Amino acid sequence: MRLDVVGKNLIRVDAYSKVTGKALYPQDIYIDGMAYGKTLRSEKPHAYIKVDTREAEKLEGIIKIFTYKDVPKNSHGVVFKDHEVFCEKKVRRIGDPIAFVVGESERVCELALKKIVVHYDELEGVFDPLLAMDENSPKVHESGNIMYHYKIRKGNIKEGFKNSHAIVENTYKTHMVDHAFLQPEAGVSFIDDKGRITIMVATQYPHYDREEVAANLNLPQDQIRIINTNVGGAFGGREDISLQTHLALAVYTLKIPVKVIYSREESFIAHSKRHSMIMKCKTGADKDGKLLAMKAVIIGDTGAYASWGTNVLRKAGVHITGPYYIPNVVVDSYAVYTNNPFAGAMRGFGVTQVPIAHEQQMDILAEELGMDPVSIRMINMFGKGSVTATGQVLTESVPLEECLEKVVEGMDFYHREEEAK
Amino acid sequence: MKDIKLNVNGKDYTLNVDENIKLLGLLRDELGLTGAKEGCGEGECGACTVIMDGETVNSCLVMAFQADGSNILTIEGLEQNGELHPIQQAFIDVGAVQCGYCTPGMIMSVKALLDKNTNPTREEIREGISGNLCRCTGYNKIVDAAELSIKYLEEGRR
Amino acid sequence: MVLEGVYKVRSIDEVVELLEKYRENAKIIAGGTDIVIALRNEKITPKVLIDISSIDELKSIKDEGEFIKIGAGVTFTKIVESSLFQKNLWGLYKACRLVGSPQIRNKGTIGGNIANGSPAADSIPPLICLGSTITLASKNGKRKVLLEEYYKDKANYGMKEDELLVSIDFKKPTENRVLSFAKLGLRKALAISRISIATFLELDKKGQVTTIRVASGSLGKYPMRELEVEEFLCGRKLNERTIDEAIKVVQQSMDERLKGRSTLPYKRVAVESMLRESIGDGIKFLDGVRA
Repeated sequence: MRLDVVGKNLIRVDAYSKVTGKALYPQDIYIDGMAYGKTLRSEKPHAYIKVDTREAEKLEGIIKIFTYKDVPKNSHGVVFKDHEVFCEKKVRRIGDPIAFVVGESERVCELALKKIVVHYDELEGVFDPLLAMDENSPKVHESGNIMYHYKIRKGNIKEGFKNSHAIVENTYKTHMVDHAFLQPEAGVSFIDDKGRITIMVATQYPHYDREEVAANLNLPQDQIRIINTNVGGAFGGREDISLQTHLALAVYTLKIPVKVIYSREESFIAHSKRHSMIMKCKTGADKDGKLLAMKAVIIGDTGAYASWGTNVLRKAGVHITGPYYIPNVVVDSYAVYTNNPFAGAMRGFGVTQVPIAHEQQMDILAEELGMDPVSIRMINMFGKGSVTATGQVLTESVPLEECLEKVVEGMDFYHREEEAK
Repeated sequence: MKDIKLNVNGKDYTLNVDENIKLLGLLRDELGLTGAKEGCGEGECGACTVIMDGETVNSCLVMAFQADGSNILTIEGLEQNGELHPIQQAFIDVGAVQCGYCTPGMIMSVKALLDKNTNPTREEIREGISGNLCRCTGYNKIVDAAELSIKYLEEGRR
Repeated sequence: MVLEGVYKVRSIDEVVELLEKYRENAKIIAGGTDIVIALRNEKITPKVLIDISSIDELKSIKDEGEFIKIGAGVTFTKIVESSLFQKNLWGLYKACRLVGSPQIRNKGTIGGNIANGSPAADSIPPLICLGSTITLASKNGKRKVLLEEYYKDKANYGMKEDELLVSIDFKKPTENRVLSFAKLGLRKALAISRISIATFLELDKKGQVTTIRVASGSLGKYPMRELEVEEFLCGRKLNERTIDEAIKVVQQSMDERLKGRSTLPYKRVAVESMLRESIGDGIKFLDGVRA
């Protein structure tokens, strides 16, 4: 078979434009007569709000200030529609959008932001997901703080631990992480020659964006175009919609091109984070190191909004057993609302956090049993035909053993371990 | 407003600039040279790197009026008569480009390094680009590209 | 920020004229690596900026025989590239080399490092160890201030609103004395010092300390001499044991100075290797000189 691509070095199509500085990101787009937009964001994590834009509107050069009143349908979200385009009654995190100022220059928009009066009637917040699970804690959304619960039940967990020679039980925590993609969010909107609302933006999902913008504006999807520019890194952080609806609303109402550029600071408070997780793991093995049981509770802090919390905590639950065969498994994985920054997709989607727990469990088990950390993995790891905790049969290539052998060889593991003693 | 004169990519400009703008804003908003990017606005990321009088600077930290009388080289000034600069070619050939937002700044840092030191070690290259962040974490390829540039530049000198 | 006037000046006279005129409404800008961020965040809101980066007089490093004089507008890159700060002045080279990134070193100046007044400024502890003097100029003339005093007693020695920092000078150390430096940052590049330690050391033939000055960064409100540890080490032979004890002395000083700070437990531990590295490098250099 002749292969044109596999095994060959190909020049990427955008390489030339990127090394010459010609590649256009949204901030590089200038349109004659365009206005600028800036977003007013909540400074409190949990509060009822009243907004007064009258003074700001009087500033010369301010064209319009948009609030929830201007949005035909004020809710959005990648899975659950629990975000508001602009908060109406309540803010749930620092950074929640409250208003969008459109003016003749960025500077006048900044002045206007300072002149908008937001009266915050502060509410008690909840910032620890463990506390948030308590029924008596403040509720971030009316539906309650436990947004999602994923379960695995396999085999007989009691038997598994009863037959175990060594059992290790530990709690692991990971922190929230920002994608910090190098190109802060930016976008430009205009009406195209066919009269359609057009948004040029760096996004991971132009099709979802179109759906959400159309829904928020209560317009048919064919009236909306999302044009993806070059994307200056995303890593999951551009999956949730950010400024697309604001831009669409502005151009739809004002019929003039509008541009928005977030500063690095605004970018940090505007978009999602990697879920911080608390992982309680109990793992048991027999004398030879063969895994017999695992019980895990994972609590993921999804912050003020669901975003991909369901999917991330499901994936975390599926993968908490690691790449190992365990006959008896109980997993409870929760996504919990708090008043922290909202968490969503980021490289690995929940699979990145759990190895912190399952791999340290393996090391500690090995130590308890007087085994070396490679051997305990070798005897438990998945191969072709293995059945995972969710019952999935791995029918295709599972070259894990080969991989670990190469690593051991490459890092001269046993020699080094000998030396370390 | 303040009158300034400067040379950018070999071209002389006489401009009347706002006191409050930065060199980066001048290049992008006034001269339409959008190759230099703003990533952080405070000199941490290096996406706005340009060469000013022979040395790299974060153009987000230089006030536009300070550039009066200076010579500026931006990414747009590297390609000559339709031919890419050897460093640009090396970035393409090695595959040192991912999202591309750091690329112009990276290339300017590599250029300034190779202007001063024609044969740097890998470690020196790493140091030379230490003021430029690549969030796609493509550093190894970027260092490879800098090494390949050394070869291309040598061949060009012969 | 809304600036009303900006000046790019060519002489010190012009600067002091402008400072006299605008006083607290004016700010000096040189490399801009700190001040442009402060302007952006509206931490300062001057009406006038005076750019001194084109004043030739401020941009030279002079070897005056017994003294070295560094213009306030000298960039870190220029110091790193100068042959004057090798050998026993290596501590100053190292400190300047560890500032920010190539871009920051190309623009940032030693005068700015002093005038900005950060407790973490990398170049200050070595300059304090050298007993540096700074020269401040105003419409009324010039005055000299010991750098150490400049930080310690702002009311008397600090910079007035009509003054410009012109130069830094210090006596060249003799061959048997050495300046060394150690810095702890959170990463290799673009790191603000969590701790920095500079030492200035002279040993006699038996390896006993005849002169020692130790200065720290980020261990107080401003860079300062660590007099207790100097006193402890003076006259002693430097070995594992005395250095261990010296670390305890520094930790005691820190306990008093940084009481209640959340960073104290961390810095207490981290200071160990910084002091060890700084003194160790000094000993290694002097051993080389004697050999």
